[in-house]
Amino acid sequence: MNEARTIDVGEGAAIPSRSDWGLFNAWTISITGAVGAILYLYFFQSTPYKRIAHYVADGIIITFQVTIMSILCACCIGLVVGLGRVSKNKAVNLAASTYVEVIRGIPLLVQLFYIYYALGRLLNVHDLTAAVIAMSVCYGAYMGEVFRAGITSIDKGQTEAARSLGFNTKQTMFLVILPQAWHTILPPVGNEFIALLKDTSLVSILAVSDLLRRGREISSESFLYFETYTLVALIYLVITLILSKGVSIMEARLSHYARQ
Amino acid sequence: MKSLIKSLLFVAACAVLALGVVGCGEKKEEKKAEAPAAAPAAPAGPKTIIFASDAAYPPMQYVNDQKEIVGFEVDVIKAAAEKAGFKAEFKNVAWDGIFAGLAAGKYDAISSSVSITDERKASMDFSDPIMSIEQMLVVGVKEKATDLAGLKGKSIGAQIGTTSYLVIKDVKGFKAIKTYDEVGLAMEDLVKGSIQAVVADSPVAVDYTTKKHADKIKIAATLKSDKVENIGIAVKKGNKEVLDLVNKGLAAIKADGTFDKIKEEHKMK
Repeated sequence: MNEARTIDVGEGAAIPSRSDWGLFNAWTISITGAVGAILYLYFFQSTPYKRIAHYVADGIIITFQVTIMSILCACCIGLVVGLGRVSKNKAVNLAASTYVEVIRGIPLLVQLFYIYYALGRLLNVHDLTAAVIAMSVCYGAYMGEVFRAGITSIDKGQTEAARSLGFNTKQTMFLVILPQAWHTILPPVGNEFIALLKDTSLVSILAVSDLLRRGREISSESFLYFETYTLVALIYLVITLILSKGVSIMEARLSHYARQ
Repeated sequence: MKSLIKSLLFVAACAVLALGVVGCGEKKEEKKAEAPAAAPAAPAGPKTIIFASDAAYPPMQYVNDQKEIVGFEVDVIKAAAEKAGFKAEFKNVAWDGIFAGLAAGKYDAISSSVSITDERKASMDFSDPIMSIEQMLVVGVKEKATDLAGLKGKSIGAQIGTTSYLVIKDVKGFKAIKTYDEVGLAMEDLVKGSIQAVVADSPVAVDYTTKKHADKIKIAATLKSDKVENIGIAVKKGNKEVLDLVNKGLAAIKADGTFDKIKEEHKMK
């Protein structure tokens, strides 16, 4: 029954299978390879790589900042949109659905330009703020769909039972449906989290000094294109792999609780 | 159900692969057919040199309403091409990575107001200088600072990988040093107030402060340097054939006054 409930939304990195803890799975090979390569380049090829690594280091922090702030805002927007999408109130439902349709129909890159340069004329937002707004607005729409899917995956009998026991609609949603929906929602949210982290590389076009922008700065100045982008790619890969492991552990835990 | 989907996917994948193979095959055949026809024609016509240009750099090179790459340097190269007997073709390439493309042989030369620096000379060859430029500090009209030191604690920007960025890169005391993909985006941020100053090449600084945003930004100062900064055409290291043609053309237009005429047309100092 739990298997049937699992929904898979988003384009996050492939989550390692729960049953596959062997030494030779894709995840172990990738992380060993990536970390090994970074350490090798840093310590044994240190002439260009040490310089690059030190230069891009503060970019990693910015990337994390954008990711974490965006995911928090996107979760809030997603919850509201998800509830709106299942709402019986026609106006609320229409508003939420329109939001999802409009936002999902505009590429993230265009949204970033739009918020920073087009709307920037009206309200002067800081580059980091603009990046977070654009990322959360975009991912809020995707997250809303995840929430909606999670909520509708709960059997209708639960609502009927709660309602017949005297819960009002609000109580039914927050005390009965959502606590159960969490189990279904969390893994795809984790996936969205990974996808969002990778998409933060797009904010470098707003001159936000994230990992990619720092890499571009040093490569365009030192002409070490190969070395720089190798290192930047490896850093992104390691971060994503660690996150995907986190998501898979979380997923395993949740299904463990669900089974009990 | 699952196996049905799987087999469908397999069929689809096979179809894609087959199409790809057929497509590649066709292309190869086309190339083969073209090659013998093109080879004898090549020595007859003038040599075509492909110039990469970051056409977001008015007035030096930019894209006009007709989607053509135009500008001062474009006109200079076209005039030089006429004199030296080669055909100049321009390709719009983003600045960030324009040198990597030259090294990879994607085009023959870069005509994009490239400043001749010792660092760049190490990885590419340069033509004779076209003209000299200076670095200028552009600020909002209300700003009172007239040098970099007066802008301490404020944010400053420049285009990524340019000599303008090198000027501010190691200056301490700024709140933030930001790099932009295009100089126009830096100017946009300056007009918006996200940053308080931009460093840019003198022709570009003059263009933006006199045309586009004349009422909002101004030139605060010319940043003095002990070295003369020249711009030239960059070619892949060792590409003497292209370099000689370009140099021949440049020398010819400078000698007969065409260069000065183009300068006048574009109102360059």
